[in-house]
Amino acid sequence: MLPFMLMYGLFTLYPLFNGIFMSLRGGRLGRPQEFVGLANYAALFKDSYFYEAFGNTFLFVFVSTPIIVLLGLVFALVSNSKHRGAKVVKIAAFLPYILSISVITSIWVYTFKPYIGFLNSYLIRLGVVGDQVLWFDRAPLAWATIIIATTWWTVGFNTILFIAGLQEIPDELYEASSIDGATKWQQLKYITLPSLKGVTVMIVLLQIIASFKIFGQPFLMTGGGPGTSTRPLVQYIYEKGFKDWNAGYASAMSYMLLLVIIVVAFVYNKVTSNDGGGKGA
Amino acid sequence: MMEVEKVRKMKNIKPGTVVIPVLIWIMIAIMLIPMVWMLLVSFKPYESNVTDFMVMLTTKFTMENFLKILDTSRMGRWIFNSFLIAAVQSLVGILLASLAAFALSVIEFKGKKVVFFIILAGLMVPVEALIMPLFSLIISLDWMNTYAGLIMPGLAMPLAVIIFKQFYDGVPRELIEAANMDGAHIFWVWRKIFLPLSGNTTAALMIFLFIQSWNNFLWPMLVGTDSSMMTLTVALPVFQSTFSTDVTMPMTANVIASVPALIVFLVFQKQIVKGIAMTGIK
Repeated sequence: MLPFMLMYGLFTLYPLFNGIFMSLRGGRLGRPQEFVGLANYAALFKDSYFYEAFGNTFLFVFVSTPIIVLLGLVFALVSNSKHRGAKVVKIAAFLPYILSISVITSIWVYTFKPYIGFLNSYLIRLGVVGDQVLWFDRAPLAWATIIIATTWWTVGFNTILFIAGLQEIPDELYEASSIDGATKWQQLKYITLPSLKGVTVMIVLLQIIASFKIFGQPFLMTGGGPGTSTRPLVQYIYEKGFKDWNAGYASAMSYMLLLVIIVVAFVYNKVTSNDGGGKGA
Repeated sequence: MMEVEKVRKMKNIKPGTVVIPVLIWIMIAIMLIPMVWMLLVSFKPYESNVTDFMVMLTTKFTMENFLKILDTSRMGRWIFNSFLIAAVQSLVGILLASLAAFALSVIEFKGKKVVFFIILAGLMVPVEALIMPLFSLIISLDWMNTYAGLIMPGLAMPLAVIIFKQFYDGVPRELIEAANMDGAHIFWVWRKIFLPLSGNTTAALMIFLFIQSWNNFLWPMLVGTDSSMMTLTVALPVFQSTFSTDVTMPMTANVIASVPALIVFLVFQKQIVKGIAMTGIK
């Protein structure tokens, strides 16, 4: 018990509280910092880049979460079926997850890269587009590359969780219903999906929290660009803290992020438990 | 009635027998093509055109890129760093979590509920939100570019404690009572009863944590700024950015960087899957 709490206290709890004090101070990291009260927070609410970065993170959370969760479900349903190749789907879905973020972002950057990536040349050959698509020059397309790369990378994680959920459904339910003449489609609708409700509630929460922390994909793929249009909050925190060395300001933003994650998780938990759905986390 | 049933069945067989097999191959293709491309490109001569699969398959293959990278870059050092950090974090992290969970599950002490709540709350705190204060702590400890600075902050993992506690709560109490009667030390109970019982859980969780640590990016980037202290995830983008028009060298670096993780995956596939499924059990 003691060793864990020592580490936990020193490297989680202490920074957690020290961060509050840091966010109340001005000046640069490593220099004497004067107490400025809530000035950092006040400045934050007037900073249009803060709103933009926060908006970008929210955009990513709300667009990517349904896609990654739904595809995870489809992959799980398919790989849990008895068709040929179903087992391979499970492995194929999961394989990218073990690659590191640097590898997957680099694969996708070079895939999308105009003139030297293979995607554009095939799109042109198939007649989908007339000329080279400049994926990283326009915000919606840049977002698309980030979301595609993220989905490809992490869908396997949700697939595994869904498969675990599928395997907890008793076989008797399916056997009994097929004796009653239920079709596969009816079984999916009335047995499988309702039984997965608890697992789904949890997967969505895990996915939302993971998506709020988005940093590496935009940082490595688009650098937050074009301009700052794909820069998420964590990247802005990083730039304020480690490029401008404005520790107080970066800490204040960290606390806004933490606050939002906690509020979202809390609200989500309330909504789903009132729904009579799963237990949440 | 039978006829109706038959017709209905035939109708419903169709999507299952045609659509799903096709879907299966599309899914597999989408997931694997980027990786196949990476692998193919890595064997192509420097600065060659890599936009056409057919051309790539029918032209010259070479090992030059691999030899050049292993010869001129510090790839070995970066792999070593990543491996060391991931191994220590998963091993020591598991040990700390197991002991903490054992205490929470078996030993009665004051403030136990509060401690458990504080650990539970830690699930909500991502390292991304702690980078500033954590970094200033590392500075004041003078741990920049040291293994201590890279490893220590990742040792206390609330999620692992909670998974272990759930498992330990299910262990029959009679086992402990029997051991107590024999005068066994509480540490002995953990070592000889709880740790072996949770063997599968421990292995699965450890491999899962290993992969997580292996893939960490933000923290190693902040603390390991010196080229000799970089992990693979941090060094790779730096290395790749030195090539502007060539794709073969960056992809070769990706392949080399992925081999250790792929080996771990192929050997421990079952445990990895189990480890992930566990993070979902509440």
